[in-house]
Amino acid sequence: MASNSGAKRIGSSSDTSNGGGILGRVTSTVSESPIFQKGKDSADDAAFVTKKLLKSTGKAAWIVGTTFLVLALPLFIELERDGQLDALELQQASLLGTPKA
Amino acid sequence: MAATPFTAPPMDAKATELPKVDEVVDYNNLPCPLPYEEIHRESLMSLKPEVFEGMRFDFNKALGPKFFLSHSVTMGPTEVPSQSPEPIKIPTANYEFGANYIDPKLMLIGRVSHDGRLNARLKADLTDNLIVKGNASLTSEPHMSHAMGTFDYKGTDYRAQLQVGSGTLLGANYIQSVTPHISLGGEIFWAGQHRKSGVGYAARYSNDKTVATGQVASTGMVALSYVQKVSEKLSFATEFSYNHMSKDVTATVGYDAVLRQARVRGKIDSNGCVTGFLEERLNVGLTFILSAELDHKKKDYKFGFGFTAGE
Repeated sequence: MASNSGAKRIGSSSDTSNGGGILGRVTSTVSESPIFQKGKDSADDAAFVTKKLLKSTGKAAWIVGTTFLVLALPLFIELERDGQLDALELQQASLLGTPKA
Repeated sequence: MAATPFTAPPMDAKATELPKVDEVVDYNNLPCPLPYEEIHRESLMSLKPEVFEGMRFDFNKALGPKFFLSHSVTMGPTEVPSQSPEPIKIPTANYEFGANYIDPKLMLIGRVSHDGRLNARLKADLTDNLIVKGNASLTSEPHMSHAMGTFDYKGTDYRAQLQVGSGTLLGANYIQSVTPHISLGGEIFWAGQHRKSGVGYAARYSNDKTVATGQVASTGMVALSYVQKVSEKLSFATEFSYNHMSKDVTATVGYDAVLRQARVRGKIDSNGCVTGFLEERLNVGLTFILSAELDHKKKDYKFGFGFTAGE
């Protein structure tokens, strides 16, 4: 412990021996306490799960997106063209006054 | 007993439409059923478009009122069966020339491809009720040619068919209408080369808006299909097939939209395969075809485009 704190505090020569030792000891007690370890473990788990979730959401979004492109997009485009044709016929019928067949 | 229609007359029926009364079924006057092999016709048309990969160009040229020539060019990768799970695709190009004579009583179709494969089909109405069909496929490779002949007899409310094929293939089937909407049929076949024989049964219920069919065979195949027409232009189809021997189960759901200038079909499979097929009429006699097939499980994607010119 003391050697670690000594290596960290190369610059500040004022608090070597005892002062540097206190801060080093406090940080190392905190980082080696069981609560801290537990918190770190759960943060690791949460990061792992989030990464997996993002990946699978990404995969699902890709599959849904490409499937929509292949299945639904041509249908929408063709339905819109059919609707335009209807509108054109309606317009022509109203313009020329021909009875709608 | 009586053929009551499924749906009640709609509330906003036109004033001139009389309400439907319960009709008494005339069992002596049932309609003629569809041929046995066409029992799944509606679901096949909706769910099995001819997807292809690459480019396809078909040109039909009429030389007379009943005779026309056809040229067909296809270029694209074709799959070669391989041991590894990855499919091996080899780019190929194919040209096929065909001559067709079509008459109400006689139909002759012949196709020759540039690598020497000949495909010929014949359909002749010998009398009003008897139809003879034949098809032959000849190749230069030995043992790959085969031919098949069929004799169909059409009765008032039944059809009977006898099939004879090369490789000693014999088959017979019979289908009968039992009510104006339901028809039942059975078939029996024997394949000499593989020493296999089998029996099958099929049933079909058809309505103005729905068609439901079911087929079982002793080869362990069960196929059920259901097609529902939701509007003049759009219909949904679903099919379920199960093979008892290989424990293969597939369910398919698809749609078919027949619009004035286009026809769009799409389907999704339980094997993770999504297919889309679009045929659009650009001009009189010119049709543009787009086909797409995504196989999410095997990560195999196939896209094709093509034109059909002529009638």
